[in-house]
Amino acid sequence: MAASSTAAAGRPAPPLAASLRRAGRAVAVPAGSVVFAFLMGAVIVAVTGGNPFAAYQALICGGFGLLCSGGENAGLQVSNTIVFLTPLIMAGVAVALPFRAGLFNIGAEGQLIVGAIACTTVGIHFAAAPAPVLLPAVLLAGMAAGAAWAGIVGVLKALTGAHEVVTTIMLNYIAQWLLRFLIIGGPLQLHNGFSVSSPIGAGAHLSTLLPHDDKLIVFGLPASVYRVHVGLLIALLAAGTYAFLLWRSSFGYEVRAVGQSQKAARYAGMSVRRTIILTMLISGAFAGLAGAVQIAAVDHNLTDKYFSDTTGFDAIAVALLGLGTATGIVFAAILFGALHGGGAVMQSDAGISGNLVYVLQALILFSIAANFLRTLKLRLPAVGRAAGTPAAEAPAGALAGESATALADDEGLA
Amino acid sequence: MVHSGLRVVTALAAAGALLSACGGTGSPGASASKTIKVGLVTDIGGLNDKSFNHLAYVGLQKAKSDFGVQGDVTESHSGDDYVPNLTNYASKKYDLVIGVGFLMQQAVGTVSGQFPSVHFAIIDGAGTDANGTDLKHSNVESLFFKEQDAGALVGVISGVLEKDGATPKKSHKIGAVGGVSIPPVNHYIAGYKWAAKMEDPSVKVFVGYSNNFTDPAKCAGVASSQISQGADVLFQVAGGCGLGVLQSAGQAHVYSIGVDADQKDADASVIASALKRVDVATYDAIKGVKDGTFQGGALTFSLQNDGVGYQADNLQLPSDVMTAVQDVSAKIKSGALTPPADIPDPTVP
Amino acid sequence: MTVLSDIGHLLLTADLWHAALAAAVLLLLPALGGVISERSGVVNIAMEGMMLTGAFFAVAADLILHDPWLSALVAMVAGGLMALIHAVVSIRFRADQIVSGIAINIFATGITVFLINRFYGLQDVGHLPPSELLPNLQIPLLDQIPFLGRVLFQQNVIVYVALILLLLVHVLLFRTRLGLRIRAVGEHPEAADTAGINVYRLRYGAVISSGLLSGLSGAFLAIGISNTFVPNMTDGRGYIALAAMIFGKWTPFGAFIACLIFGLGQAIYDNNSIIHVSQYLLSMLPYILTLVVLAGVVGRSQPPAADGIPYAPGTE
Repeated sequence: MAASSTAAAGRPAPPLAASLRRAGRAVAVPAGSVVFAFLMGAVIVAVTGGNPFAAYQALICGGFGLLCSGGENAGLQVSNTIVFLTPLIMAGVAVALPFRAGLFNIGAEGQLIVGAIACTTVGIHFAAAPAPVLLPAVLLAGMAAGAAWAGIVGVLKALTGAHEVVTTIMLNYIAQWLLRFLIIGGPLQLHNGFSVSSPIGAGAHLSTLLPHDDKLIVFGLPASVYRVHVGLLIALLAAGTYAFLLWRSSFGYEVRAVGQSQKAARYAGMSVRRTIILTMLISGAFAGLAGAVQIAAVDHNLTDKYFSDTTGFDAIAVALLGLGTATGIVFAAILFGALHGGGAVMQSDAGISGNLVYVLQALILFSIAANFLRTLKLRLPAVGRAAGTPAAEAPAGALAGESATALADDEGLA
Repeated sequence: MVHSGLRVVTALAAAGALLSACGGTGSPGASASKTIKVGLVTDIGGLNDKSFNHLAYVGLQKAKSDFGVQGDVTESHSGDDYVPNLTNYASKKYDLVIGVGFLMQQAVGTVSGQFPSVHFAIIDGAGTDANGTDLKHSNVESLFFKEQDAGALVGVISGVLEKDGATPKKSHKIGAVGGVSIPPVNHYIAGYKWAAKMEDPSVKVFVGYSNNFTDPAKCAGVASSQISQGADVLFQVAGGCGLGVLQSAGQAHVYSIGVDADQKDADASVIASALKRVDVATYDAIKGVKDGTFQGGALTFSLQNDGVGYQADNLQLPSDVMTAVQDVSAKIKSGALTPPADIPDPTVP
Repeated sequence: MTVLSDIGHLLLTADLWHAALAAAVLLLLPALGGVISERSGVVNIAMEGMMLTGAFFAVAADLILHDPWLSALVAMVAGGLMALIHAVVSIRFRADQIVSGIAINIFATGITVFLINRFYGLQDVGHLPPSELLPNLQIPLLDQIPFLGRVLFQQNVIVYVALILLLLVHVLLFRTRLGLRIRAVGEHPEAADTAGINVYRLRYGAVISSGLLSGLSGAFLAIGISNTFVPNMTDGRGYIALAAMIFGKWTPFGAFIACLIFGLGQAIYDNNSIIHVSQYLLSMLPYILTLVVLAGVVGRSQPPAADGIPYAPGTE
């Protein structure tokens, strides 16, 4: 995001009114889509005999700690939402980067799982190591494992043309089974009768913002219930790194060029193969980091929950909703994190199935896809897609200034 | 599908009504002054899992209508939800928070430490730390089930039927299809295999896993494979997935055995069901909080206290089967026989 | 090595191939749908959602109508309606087709369980008696052929339907004018438009077909192989079908071969009670095999040229 502001500063400053209008339009459409989705959701609740007002009040309470009526602790709700959204940012970036290169990474989930596995393995094996050594080691191990997992996809794509949608789906399944193999009867199993691994060493723990103390009371609850952790900063750093890589580095320029047209990129003297492999390696590192942070900060051991984890799939929606921009991904992750946290409160307080949250997510995606993307004619480059849309129909501006630069670059390329 | 469970609950409810009537005369103000609030958190199977989450909900519903407690439910959609869902109820000062399932052990261990004044109960586990050690928080009731007792009784049925040559193929081969290889599943299978071999030493017991609790087709596949191998009595231990076992057995005209609740209605092939009275355990835990008799620590539901059992279904069981079942049942209750918790000779069918 | 001999022995049994074919058909139907849709130029990753919706409505309808055939039809219509949403959003509104597909899948997960909660309460969805399920059909005489009879002619009725559809879709796409037009629309929509072909209508038809086929697969799963609905019972099959379609280079028979690999892997895994290896490693087998075959033999999969690009007349 820092990168985007410098990017904006690098160009002639637009008149204030115009940029305000542009910003307004950029925010208005996704906001409108969210409103539209919630209206549709309300209709569904009402038609099936529920009270949409009670449902949404509880949803907002669970997501943001506002308007709570059931005695919920606002701080706790906000904290839960942040814990949910943290991995979504990192995994969202892991999906968005390959999108920019025209690659559809359905494999963030598998990369996240192997990241979690590697983090845990290192954290157990060197459990006695001091934190300044162990903590970076487990996070790097997670990134390396994720990169390697995605690297398989990149190499196969670059060398044999094997389609990344197939290979990522296959590697997701292989990662899931590897996980179960390791923790049920396998080398990482805690001991017989458990489907979890041993815990990682204390030195590998990523600290929470508040001390992990059951006795210290903060906002009326023990401090240890607020699980917001340093991983949030890591996630924001990852998003910033993504923006920097994409807009400020020559690698990012190549990624976008390859995404627009492999042929054109080749004519321009770029190595498409190298770009594809590098893109997947970096993407996998982001996803692996998401898994490692989740282990180091929240779980502290590998559990069977990763078998049915869906963070990597939710991340696809987050990346698409965020239009592939760093800022957009962060906002989309906030929305999805809040919906995740809100669903539970909606069910306990309003008696409306938490599954309504999925319906809302889908409706938001539909309305964003159908209106926003159409109106702005800003589409993510996708597999096999030809060059970008005509310049005359491509007004600048998405959620942040960076997309404007993207389009400018794209036009220059086309 | 939950007939027998309901029947037991009804019986208990009657007893409970009596008790509360007695208690009511003693201290009329106690129950009227405050509504007991109970929060139930399911594991990722959700309420429609046709298994223990559903049964826990049945127990909660019963308690709601019997005691007038307030009962709220939250379904967990991923393993990340366990801690926040439990914490939500605890932070709202619910009187009892119930976690359903073995997978929630660590979450219950963590949250119960943060809220010592809130009662917790966990089905199929204890409140543990990351090392799997029971933290023994005094506010946690760990509800364990001796699934192996129930497995043993249906194992006796299968074994004697095989010994008598009374099964559809007279093959001396039976099967068990588990969801995932975790303790609550393996206990059932351990008792089943042990008892079947005890009754008919020549019987082969195939043990397979679907690695799934929700997809009946996956379990149907494992069941079909075992039927191909000659198995003619199949025991499902896989929740909603296991319905595929019952149906495969029906299509192949062999016998099947249901799990957790009475699954008589799921398919005509179901000759018996192994029962695990999660509904009763849930109901009892709520009742304990209401009556002020809640006790922390492990509570084991076994054959002895009717916490597990069996139910004969769509087959008139021969008298020697019934005799054998009653015999083994009595011996287990008296301690003369102890079904194993781990599957005996796991590599030998 | 005992593992290999275990598996080798299994491969000689008709029962294994019987199971493999049934498992493959569950994937084949949505994969065929995907082939038609993407051949017309509309990316479709929504088979999972359409299949799940089909499974739910098959059971819901059967519980009311007590007729598996009508219920299968209802399932197809339900899948088709989900596809229609995808079509409207991605053809009429020219939305990003991957976004729309992902949205369909999320929507199906949510709406099925939401509807269960609303209409069946928090109770079980009922079970259907065998007489109300899609039946197994033994083809007289042919089912007596050694080995092949068991594999091919003692299957569920939907298996035969799917194999016939496989042929039909192949013939339709590559031997008929309509198929030529569908492919033309997927490769060069402008040229097709100029030649007087209605791009929109063909794309709508193709996408809706994918919903009908996925819905039928959902019905096979819920009221053929199983007799009730369990939340999320499709368990990722739509994504495997997607992989199979790409693996098969957007051709019906190519997709079928991929489906057979997965079906065979599933059938081998199902025998984990008698194969002496970790069931988890055994589960990986079809996926590793697919990777190897894809990298070594199949190689580059090139989608139709206009796949994923909304058609907007006059802008290009």
